[in-house]
Amino acid sequence: MLQVKDVTLSFGGLVAVNHVSMEVRDGSITGLIGPNGAGKTTFFNIASGVYTPDSGEIIFDGKNITGKRCFQINEAGISRTYQVINLFKKMTVLENVLVGMHSRIKSNFFASLLHLPSQRAEEKELRKKAMKLLEFVGLEKQANDEAGSLSYGQQRLLEIVRGMASDPKLLLLDEPAAGMNSHENDELMVLLKKIAAMGISILIIEHDMNLMMNLCDYIYVLNYGKLLAEGKPAQIQQNPDVIAAYLGGE
Amino acid sequence: MFWQLLISGLVIGSVYGLIALGYSLIYKASGLLTFAQGDLLTLGAFLGVTFFTVLKLPFVVSLVLAVGFGFAVGMLIEKFIIRRLLNKKVLIIYVVLSTIALSYIIQNGTMLAFGTKTKYFPAIFSISRIKLGSIYVQMESVVCILVSLACMLILHLFMSKTKLGTAMRAASMDRVAAEARGINVSLTTGLTWGLAAGFAALGGMLIGPVYGVYTTLGATIGKKASASAVSGGYGNMYGAIVGGLLLGIIETLVAGFLSSEYKDMISYIILLLFLFLRPTGIFNERALQD
Amino acid sequence: MKRTQKNLKRPLLALLAVLLLSVPLIFSGFPYAILICCFILLYVIAVSGLDIVFGYCGQISMGHAAFFAIGAYGSCLLHDYCGIPIMLTMVIAAVLAASVGAVIAYPASKLVFHFLSLATLSFGEIVYQIISHSPGGITNNFVGYYTESINFFGLTLDTYPRFYYYALGCAVLFLTAKQMLVNSQVGRAFIAIRENHHAADGMGVNVRKYKVIAFAVSAFYTAFAGAMYAHLVRYISPDTFMQKQSVMFLTMLLFGGTASLAGPICGVTVVMLLNELLRSAERYQMFIYGILLLAVIVLIPGGIYGTVEKAIKNVFRRKKEAAKDAAG
Repeated sequence: MLQVKDVTLSFGGLVAVNHVSMEVRDGSITGLIGPNGAGKTTFFNIASGVYTPDSGEIIFDGKNITGKRCFQINEAGISRTYQVINLFKKMTVLENVLVGMHSRIKSNFFASLLHLPSQRAEEKELRKKAMKLLEFVGLEKQANDEAGSLSYGQQRLLEIVRGMASDPKLLLLDEPAAGMNSHENDELMVLLKKIAAMGISILIIEHDMNLMMNLCDYIYVLNYGKLLAEGKPAQIQQNPDVIAAYLGGE
Repeated sequence: MFWQLLISGLVIGSVYGLIALGYSLIYKASGLLTFAQGDLLTLGAFLGVTFFTVLKLPFVVSLVLAVGFGFAVGMLIEKFIIRRLLNKKVLIIYVVLSTIALSYIIQNGTMLAFGTKTKYFPAIFSISRIKLGSIYVQMESVVCILVSLACMLILHLFMSKTKLGTAMRAASMDRVAAEARGINVSLTTGLTWGLAAGFAALGGMLIGPVYGVYTTLGATIGKKASASAVSGGYGNMYGAIVGGLLLGIIETLVAGFLSSEYKDMISYIILLLFLFLRPTGIFNERALQD
Repeated sequence: MKRTQKNLKRPLLALLAVLLLSVPLIFSGFPYAILICCFILLYVIAVSGLDIVFGYCGQISMGHAAFFAIGAYGSCLLHDYCGIPIMLTMVIAAVLAASVGAVIAYPASKLVFHFLSLATLSFGEIVYQIISHSPGGITNNFVGYYTESINFFGLTLDTYPRFYYYALGCAVLFLTAKQMLVNSQVGRAFIAIRENHHAADGMGVNVRKYKVIAFAVSAFYTAFAGAMYAHLVRYISPDTFMQKQSVMFLTMLLFGGTASLAGPICGVTVVMLLNELLRSAERYQMFIYGILLLAVIVLIPGGIYGTVEKAIKNVFRRKKEAAKDAAG
């Protein structure tokens, strides 16, 4: 599905991501862990088109998407959430999801300007689908509230459904559990497993080791921008390098 | 002809530089653009000409008073309008619009207070002009160039050598860290706005004797000076000066040798070209990152 | 609650329509008032255009007077030099302005608002310089340019009531189109860009493309209004298209409130009426504007309509909560 080949990116003298290769397999949940400042979010930003790598290739679904812009990558089928909540705060919850569907909308400018029948039919479909997505995470009651008025945990959920709205093949989740309590954490795990079962592959960054070990099929560990280890959760837990990096980092 | 034009270019260029310096100082300290600088120049010029001709004060005293007044106005603007808006967390664009409103108030306020007629400074110096090589240069022009360059030098020394200047630079680089070090950031920000306004008033006192003083004097200079600030690298003190001098010279030479028809357009074209093609300016100031 | 609102809506709209249609009758002995109403209508179109790019898409423009000028001069010149009927030249000039807007917006789209305000300001100044120092003097420069009234399918709109009905029709058309646009995926993309352009980009919105669209549509509106202005007054000169005018558009918009249908209408009406009240004190006019603009920004940043709307919402919410409390 997603293949990252030998990607490097540096800012000035600092090499943020150093010759990293990894792969996300179809339908799997792949984890990305590492101490703070290891380059995880930078890696996400490369994969989602915010940054263009200095060298290396990113292949998605057999197509080379290296250097493509964010919106093009979203069109190609990779969607994401953000570490810092990045919702459209003054828009309603439903509208947030509708914006998430943007790259799948067929109506053009003039159809939208004139509200042609085709556009109206499409809009109706979109709203129906958006409501379904909101029901999926239990936000349907808040559909017409301003996104900024939701609780923190709900905003995190909205980020995830907004990301799902474009029918992505791959969803990049940047610390979706940050700031959640343990109950919400459990719910999130169930939700993510459901999403994976729907056929959406997931690449997730998270600090909560417990969650990651239970959730992921495969884990990559970054440290100082370099790939430190990879393997199944059980292997990662045993890996002396990883243990050293985490203990050293604490 | 060329040397004559070069001198006129330096005269207006040094005033552009003074205003652009104010833009850069404010941008560094508050992350804001202001549109009131030019009209503060007008205000300074009107006050100066009044002190000089009506109150019959010596030129230097009038200059110091006008600059001091400008400084105070700048600090007041920061304290009572800008900071208030920033504390209310309104969209930044509203803060910028408030400076446009201020520019209207100052511009039309000076018109109401001082009238619409152009006011001229009577001869200030006993020698009206001096000979430089083969050309004669107005004394006022020489003073304008020298004083503004001297002030820029003083600003440089103040910023790099004094404790207060260092504090101001620190506060504009990292507000939180500066506060943690015990720097009074609201004071340094206020001082920065005061300093910028003082420079504008100084510009008015220097260009007034050359051009005459009228209500829209500063509005045009203020807008063109933004071209200097951008071309030098917005937020870069030295870039503002270099950009100002260059713009003044280019504008005057084009007007002299090509056509004066489009003299006023040149600075706006330069501004657009820099914004579109090299927004970091000559000095590669990374101000435009968001 | 919602039902009563809906039930009230229709009669209110009908009343408004009757009121608007009868303006020329009400003021039949007072043509000046009808002229003011004509101005209000055309400025509503211009300011609604600015609202699309500033209110919805969050992109500042300090050079909208330039689009106003392109509409006005474009329509007049096309009519005189190419002999095209004015009804058409108004549209062509507006399309022209939209193209210019798109060309400017393309490189400007990467600028953050501070520098966007500088870029649009310089664009406005350049257009002003061009019309006041035009090549070959085709705009008559500072002397000003005389033009004709609109010929509306054989009917010359040379009286204020006639022009009023035409302007009313245009305003309804343009405002309806604006509502349709902002209530579609295009409008959502605009708002998403305003709210958070990084996230909009990540969600598949081509930010640059939509900024260009917003500028182009906005320019179309303002330019069409400019053409209306030219053929209403039948005389244009560079004075009308100075930076002052751009700031005036912004003032009207901020006064009324951004990102709404009613905001520009409120803003334009209030500022125009103020204009008339201040006419006797013309010397103080700009000074008072400055103070009012500052007061709006400092005291009611949501504008008049925005503030009223918020107050009404609060009342409703309080009632709702009171009802809830009573029930619980």
